[in-house]
Order: sequence, then C-alpha cells, then structure tokens
Amino acid sequence: MTPESFEDVEVGMALDPVTVRPTTIQLFRFSAATWNAHRIHYDAGYAATEGYPDVLVQSHLHGCFLLRTALDWAGPRARLRRFGWRNRGIAVPGDTLTCTGVVTACRVDGSGAGLVECALEERKADGTLCAPGTAVLELPRRSPGDGEEVRP
Amino acid sequence: MNTLDEICERIREHIGKVIRDDLGIITARDFQRFAVAAGETPGDVAPPLFLSSVLGWNAGPTSDELTPDGTGDEKAGLPLDGLRLMGAGQDLDFHHPLQDGTRVVRETSVENVTLKQGGQGPFLIITMLRAFSDDSGTPLVTCHDTLIARPEAAQ
Repeated sequence: MTPESFEDVEVGMALDPVTVRPTTIQLFRFSAATWNAHRIHYDAGYAATEGYPDVLVQSHLHGCFLLRTALDWAGPRARLRRFGWRNRGIAVPGDTLTCTGVVTACRVDGSGAGLVECALEERKADGTLCAPGTAVLELPRRSPGDGEEVRP
Repeated sequence: MNTLDEICERIREHIGKVIRDDLGIITARDFQRFAVAAGETPGDVAPPLFLSSVLGWNAGPTSDELTPDGTGDEKAGLPLDGLRLMGAGQDLDFHHPLQDGTRVVRETSVENVTLKQGGQGPFLIITMLRAFSDDSGTPLVTCHDTLIARPEAAQ
C-alpha cells in the first residue's frame, strides 16, 4: 500500500510485490522501442548457439520491472532520486518473475526532504535471483522541513 | 583477432575521453512506446529508464554492418569487434524529468575496464558513464552503465 507520507514509512516495511510474465511479443516490442538489434532477444536459434534455452529478457527490461515495484509502492507524489540494478540470472518468455522490496533506510536530508531507501529483488518462480537492485525515493513530508530527524 | 588483453588495453586508452552526441528532439511518442513495451502506463514525462535503455538515436548501421550477434549501435567508438556484449546493470541519478520536445545531449566516456576470468572463460567488464542533459545544459539523468564483453560463440 502506498504510504501517505515519509513519516508513515519504517525500516523493514515491505513493498507491494509485482509479478510479471514477459512474452516474446513484449521482448520484441521492447527491442524495437529501444533500437536493440541484439539477436539473443528475438532469435531463439541464435540464442541457442550461445547456450540459452530461449530468447532472453533484456537487461533494461529487468530494470523496468524492478523500478516499477518501487514506483508503484511509492505513489505518484514520490520523486525518484536514484536507482540501480544488476543482472545476475537470465529469464525467458513464460517465466514468472516476482519483484519484491523492503525499506532499508529512512532519512531527512539537509534540505528537509524525506528520503527512503529500498532494496529490491526480482526472482523466478523457482527462487532464482535474476536482478537485485536499490532505489532512493523522496516521499512527501507531513510537515515539510521541520526537523533533522534521522532514523536508522 | 586481438587477445582480450590487447582489447582491454585499447579500451583503457579511451578512459577520460568524452564523446558528445546531440540525440535530437525527443518526442512523447518515443518514450510512450517505451512505456507500453515495458508494460507501463504511458504518460506526459518519459519513464526513468528510457534514456539509458535506448541503444541507438540515429538511423543506425545497416544490417550488413551489424556484428554476428546483431549489435552495432552500443559500442561508443570502442574497439569491441569480435566480442559479444551484454548489459549487466546500471546505476542512475535522476535530476529532471524528460518532457516531450526536449533536445537531448549525451556525453559518454569510459570509466573503467577490467579483464576477468570466469567459468566460461575470460571476459571484460566495462563501465561507461553516460550523462544526459537538455540543450541548455540542465542535467536529466546520469547513468553508470556496466557491460560485459565476451569473445563470440562458435557458430
């Protein structure tokens, strides 16, 4: 559930999971929209020559799934400050990918902005980690700029 | 073909050199197609990962100019022929949202390159810095992009 404000967020709070099941059509359209001609994303025969069971979900699409998890949870009033992810495991069309997240830190910066840090993970149904990530989001303050509060 | 050691050293020579590209005017259609393809709801501003995910901004190479794995637009002038490239992740700072009609400028440089030994043989880890701004210099997104480059698979 999207928090009303920064003050409603606590370390350890879980983000609402996001589950996706990418298809070959989605991979093709993502390659087209990003002008990505890499054959491992649309040519299963070529992907097999590199040892893969099917065409692969793009690195950046894994990032999009993870980031969606953070942004959906944070809501439209949040502002994304930082985001990063790593590609650890492959995924292919038909895989069920579940993205989860947990709040790891809450702090107020020098300007009074309420910043929330989240650790994110995207895993396949068998538990294989595809992509870990982190996000820093600025959430609206209940009383903007009113303190130097720092929480672990 | 050059050994990975030699390629690594040639790439290392590019560290610190900045390539500046005018990516042209970005339209809402460009980033809304990206949003739809990613399974997101298209909006009035670009999805955060749009600029750092698009691999080519001009007409691009002809089919004959692509390498056997289909890549061609993402090499930033680096001597990567004969290597397979894969994205390994990114670290991004977001400064200002990208709106329809913005002319975008990108500055690209190599931050680091290292030669590693993996279970499937040697490979390179290349870290690129891509700084996107509008044509007045207002920063939009800064992206540290990690790429893995391996020798081509036997066909």
